Amino acid sequence: MLPAMPDADHVLLDPAAAYPEVNAVRAALAARDWTGVRAVLDVAPPVGRTMLINVGAEGHEVADFLDWVIRRDPGDSAAAAMLGRHLIGVGWNIRSSAVADHVSAEQFASFHDWLRRAELVLLDAIARRPGDPALWVARLTSARGLQLGLAETRRRYDKLAAIDPHHLPGQYAFLQRLCPKWGGSWEMLHGWCREAMLAAPPGALQGTLVAEGHIEHWLEFDDGEEGRRYLAGEPARTEIYEAAHRSAWHPAFRRSPGWVRALSNFAMIFGLLDDRPAAASIFAMLGNLGSEDPWNYLNGADPAGEIRRRRSAAMAAARGIR
Amino acid sequence: MIQQLRVDGVPTLLAPVTGPAHAGLAFRVGFADEPLYRRGITHLIEHLALHHVGVADYHYNGATGVEYTFFHMQGSAEEIARFLTGVCAALRDLPMHRLAVEKELLQAEANGRSSGAADDMGLWRYGARNYGMPSYPEWGLSAVTPDDLRAWVARYFTRENAVLWVAGDEIPAGLRLDLPGGVRQPPPAPSSALPVTPAFFPSMSGVLVWDTVVPRNAGATVFAGVLERVMFRELRQEGGLSYTAQTNYEPLGADHATITAVADSLPEKQGAVLGAFVDVLAALRVGRIDDTDVATVIKQRVEGLRHAEDQGGRLPGQALNLLAGREVQSLDEVIAEISSVTVAQVAQVAAAACAAGLLMTPRASADWAGFTAAPSRSETVVAGTSYASLEGPDDHLVIGPEGVSLVRGDDIATVRFDACAIVRAWPDGGRQFVGFDGIVVVVEPSLYAGAHGALPWLDARVPPGLRVDHPPRDPSRIPQPQMPAARPAPAGGKALGVVGLVVLIPVTLFFVGVAALLGLALATDNSAVAGNDSELAGFVVLIVILLTLAATCGIGIHRSARRVYRS
Repeated sequence: MLPAMPDADHVLLDPAAAYPEVNAVRAALAARDWTGVRAVLDVAPPVGRTMLINVGAEGHEVADFLDWVIRRDPGDSAAAAMLGRHLIGVGWNIRSSAVADHVSAEQFASFHDWLRRAELVLLDAIARRPGDPALWVARLTSARGLQLGLAETRRRYDKLAAIDPHHLPGQYAFLQRLCPKWGGSWEMLHGWCREAMLAAPPGALQGTLVAEGHIEHWLEFDDGEEGRRYLAGEPARTEIYEAAHRSAWHPAFRRSPGWVRALSNFAMIFGLLDDRPAAASIFAMLGNLGSEDPWNYLNGADPAGEIRRRRSAAMAAARGIR
Repeated sequence: MIQQLRVDGVPTLLAPVTGPAHAGLAFRVGFADEPLYRRGITHLIEHLALHHVGVADYHYNGATGVEYTFFHMQGSAEEIARFLTGVCAALRDLPMHRLAVEKELLQAEANGRSSGAADDMGLWRYGARNYGMPSYPEWGLSAVTPDDLRAWVARYFTRENAVLWVAGDEIPAGLRLDLPGGVRQPPPAPSSALPVTPAFFPSMSGVLVWDTVVPRNAGATVFAGVLERVMFRELRQEGGLSYTAQTNYEPLGADHATITAVADSLPEKQGAVLGAFVDVLAALRVGRIDDTDVATVIKQRVEGLRHAEDQGGRLPGQALNLLAGREVQSLDEVIAEISSVTVAQVAQVAAAACAAGLLMTPRASADWAGFTAAPSRSETVVAGTSYASLEGPDDHLVIGPEGVSLVRGDDIATVRFDACAIVRAWPDGGRQFVGFDGIVVVVEPSLYAGAHGALPWLDARVPPGLRVDHPPRDPSRIPQPQMPAARPAPAGGKALGVVGLVVLIPVTLFFVGVAALLGLALATDNSAVAGNDSELAGFVVLIVILLTLAATCGIGIHRSARRVYRS
């Protein structure tokens, strides 16, 4: 039997909906209360902490405040990770998420300037606190933007993995680097995603990496039908279901930090596969919760609307079948 | 216990030794004293001074280094006396009839020498002057005249500019150091080609080299040792990124020292080597230093010192200190100094070291890590007549009363006559100008419309003395214009063109036993002669001791490295 049906019109994209600590971090940041921010971060599990740091980094006008915090205590790696992440975000907004051909030289120059600023903050913090995973996660993204090469990005990932072998935010960042659009290859990408899933305990969120790898691959097809054929073909299809069984559908699956986005990958990919019962089972687990990623690949302007439509369709079909 | 004496007016250090006696006579002169247009003159004198020794079965050696030149002998008191007395006599009356042959021998020696990973560092840090000289080939040799040699000897190979050390029971009877009088020549003041540090330049060699200049003290030697340990752990043991990860400490003048770090890598790991090295430096810079590392390095250094004291191995270093104007230190003093080094002192050195650093990256930018690109081109074009390239519309050569420029698009290379280190000339009209900043302008008249006609005017403006004429080039080496389509694409600015010239070094060679010899060769261009293999081996051991103690071991051997501006 399926859990309670979500309200058909409601989609909560705000990460705070699944993770109330997000609001505590936001409130403390808004009050320029770093002790308050740290009080939340310091008791969060590693992945949750990285997520909270990333959410904090999205705040406007946090740079000066975080700068001030770091000047007072250069060893505060949470502040450095948040500032680094914030600077990367500013740079990425200037670059935009367009493919490289559609980014101007000026945009690239400014993008790289911001990333270099982030790198210096992160370099200094890592020198002091090399064991903070959030720093290495931010560094994976800046390494990609600055095109520091696969060897350096992999070194950074290995450093992260030595601290936390299944650090999902860092795994998403590394996964991007393995995509052909960033100089990787499909073979490398899918191989790594599956390895990372199998390395994690059964029921862990890491199955979503396999789904995300195939979503990235699907994105390469301009023709929707070709993309669908790719997902429905082998080995994609088998791998996707294997991944769902090993994570979302596994009895040991837990709603640990990051679970909403992890499931969203499955919800979307089952939708693309037109397996409505499978999609419905994931949507049921999500309830009203959702995440912008990966839905903005389908509808950048209105990911919530996209979720609503796909969810209704899946749920209706599932009810029909039942 | 080191005794201080004088032998024929030459300051002398004497200390007992277990094992065979040895002695050395050193002069405060080396590559750093040579102008580029007479580059090689000290080495040539060293060769001429040893010519009389012939091929006898002796353990003797002459070596020309960056700041010092020395003659060394291991053997009986009589052999030592005969050798050093003979060297002094030869210096007073150089065998000028050997000049042409010795020049050729030096050329052959240079051709057979492999390049060292750190060869380029000098020219990027100092330009084409003083401490930049080890980066350059012996380009001045062909212009050296007997008068030049006599003047060089009169200035540098004097009693006042010499020091003798004897590892043995007494000064060998019959030793006569009949040297002319003169004055002590202080080491040259270092020039700078780096407006900003920390700086970087990319190299095609695939090896990462970093160097820095810090105040000379025990804390700096410990820092060098700690850096090596951390590099070894991060780059080799943990990351598997480098086979070799080494550092080297070498005194510079009286009060400073150069610390050099080298890490090799496979082509596919170069980015990671750079990233890991940057992280290693940053950790030390912020003071995250393992006190076990500090303690271990101190312990190793102290053991090395005690061992060297027994072998007379501390003597050469102390003798060179004396020449540099420093006090001779007893073993106990040196040990006390090094043993008192604290983690905080090492951190202080690390901060200063990072601030003054110059990084040669394997093919990559290091701007993201806080390093500024070292200048690889000129800012301005000289005023003068422009000669269009026969190869492409964007290129031209400018010849003016104040200098020469090559312009290719936005890339400018300018050498001004008042800041010019050498003008190399070939009979076919080819000219190569090297500026004090290391920037090179190659004038190939065959490539620029009308340039041949401008040559006499240009040659007349070259300051006297700077010109070095070379034998005719092989016709295949004289460039001919290529149609733009056939031309290789410009390699992304001059820096890349420069590094393209750097030869990929046989890294493996670098790290085997030969490394000890090569290490010495950075500081002291070695021209060892030994009777047989076992003696050579013995000499290598001596060199190792010398290096450790005098802390003059080096990382590469000097070899041509030049900033060339043309395709």
